[in-house]
Amino acid sequence: MSDFVIETWELSKQYGGKAGCKNITLQVPRGSVFGFLGQNGAGKSTFVRTMLGLLHPTNGKAVMLGHPIGSVESRKKVGYLPELFRYPDWLTGTQLLEHHAELCGLSRSERKTVIRDVVELVGMAGRENERIRGFSKGMQQRIGLACALLSDPELIFLDEPTSALDPIGRKEVRELIARLRDQGKTIFLNSHLLSEMESVCDHVGIIHRGELVVHGEWRKLSAVLPQIELTLEQVSDKLQASVPSYVTDMRLLRQNEGQATWLFTLDEEGRVPALLAELIAAGAAVHEVIKKQQSLEEVFLYWVQQKEGEAHVADRKNHV
Amino acid sequence: MWPIVKITYREMISKRIFAITILMSIAFLILFGVATWYASREMGEMTGGSDMLLQQGFFSTQLLGMGLYFGSFITALLAILSSVGSIASEVESHQIDTWLARALPRHKYLLGKFGGLASMLIIYSTLMFAGLLGINQWVGGGVLAVDVSVGQIFSSLFYFVLMPVILVCVSLLLSSMTTTVTGGIILIILYGISFIGGFIEQLGTIIGNSSLMNIGIISSLLFPTDSLFRQSTIALFDTADDPISFASQGIFGTASAPSTAMFIYTLFYGVAALLLAVRVFQKRDV
Repeated sequence: MSDFVIETWELSKQYGGKAGCKNITLQVPRGSVFGFLGQNGAGKSTFVRTMLGLLHPTNGKAVMLGHPIGSVESRKKVGYLPELFRYPDWLTGTQLLEHHAELCGLSRSERKTVIRDVVELVGMAGRENERIRGFSKGMQQRIGLACALLSDPELIFLDEPTSALDPIGRKEVRELIARLRDQGKTIFLNSHLLSEMESVCDHVGIIHRGELVVHGEWRKLSAVLPQIELTLEQVSDKLQASVPSYVTDMRLLRQNEGQATWLFTLDEEGRVPALLAELIAAGAAVHEVIKKQQSLEEVFLYWVQQKEGEAHVADRKNHV
Repeated sequence: MWPIVKITYREMISKRIFAITILMSIAFLILFGVATWYASREMGEMTGGSDMLLQQGFFSTQLLGMGLYFGSFITALLAILSSVGSIASEVESHQIDTWLARALPRHKYLLGKFGGLASMLIIYSTLMFAGLLGINQWVGGGVLAVDVSVGQIFSSLFYFVLMPVILVCVSLLLSSMTTTVTGGIILIILYGISFIGGFIEQLGTIIGNSSLMNIGIISSLLFPTDSLFRQSTIALFDTADDPISFASQGIFGTASAPSTAMFIYTLFYGVAALLLAVRVFQKRDV
């Protein structure tokens, strides 16, 4: 059994050479919660829909659960909650789940138990026999989530799964994702709500204008921008004027009773002892050192800006 | 595939168009029954010789021919309206996404839709045919009842129910290729060409005008549903290439009978449309 549930090689889905996603090469480890981050229109949903065989790739290849995408086998153990969740509104919640359960090949007796369980899991118990027509957006998203979980999938694609939910619903979904991960399932989470992703994802991929900028364990990715917060006393103007070359940025965060808290951005994490030594040598009293953890938003912005910078340079070269 | 057939049934029954069609069909059958009852009472009171018998025969076949034509028209409309959006509207609304994201081959999805729609329309058109013939036989009584054998009824019914099935095949092809509105317009125009072409061909045969007959043949090749109705009436009234049939059945009867080759062409047309629909649907992005 492969360690990856998804592997893609230069996978592209373009519409007349534009938009969509382009040359995506990534691996999603089994049992991870993989956050696919990108702005609106970055190509996140296009990628997911291509993986599920709803769109035909224009280039590249991909394997899902060991089978080439587009094949029936690749979708056997997959659950999907689409971003644009629309279900036949003339069905009741239970009827919808019954039809899906039948398509998943569940027997009549299994269906009853499984439907009861998933309805309970997504917080729809007691409302499942009402017509979808009368459901709020949030309830429709919950019943969609129940649909995605029906087949006890190994891989679950959740495309903006909390877009229609209230804060309590969002918390419940986050808890559900964590529970599914604990059961060994892989979650592919598409979202642009970075704060939400941060609390549940262990791996991320950042997509920008259809291209994958970076992917990997998100805590490792956050190390690309080593920052420390230093609370100092007696920082001379001389020190401020001659900051070491490995300090790429230095910002005053706050001042309080003669102490100043600074945020230092370094070119690499290993420079921290050297910086501290230099500061002490220059006569600064170091009161507090805090290694700053990057938020997912900061990581995302860092990589997107890097990509934009590269694109700008390439653009200029082309003009020259 | 069976779950898709089931959901197609459910969808069709839940649609307002289906309920309206059923109600209007009942209203039409009641009207047809009342007209037949009055006509048979009127005819029953008439006295006369062979002229009168001939008149009764003409009147009964014309009335039933008219009823069957309108019945086939309603069936065609139901077939078009219920099937033309069956793929396209689900793609447009993204309802199809969660179905196709399952381990379900696309051809099974499409064939499931076909199975559901076609079987439902076969039931509907059989009931419509049985209703019209039943009224003719029992309400028309000994005066207006058309003399038909069981074999004739089944043969006629076969062609009658085949028409909506062919329509569903073409409708699914259009639904796989284009939007609901575009597909609906194209199909209604094709159906219109077919039935206008059918009338033109019958008139051409009566007056011996080969140009009119050729127009009819071309329109039948373009969309062969009218030829199925003509074959249905030929089977029921036992008339083929009979100039008298126009006099006895009027414009809804058949003076120019479609050939066996035309019937084979019609079958091929339907099968080809369905296979093409599968192929197009498998290749398209949803």
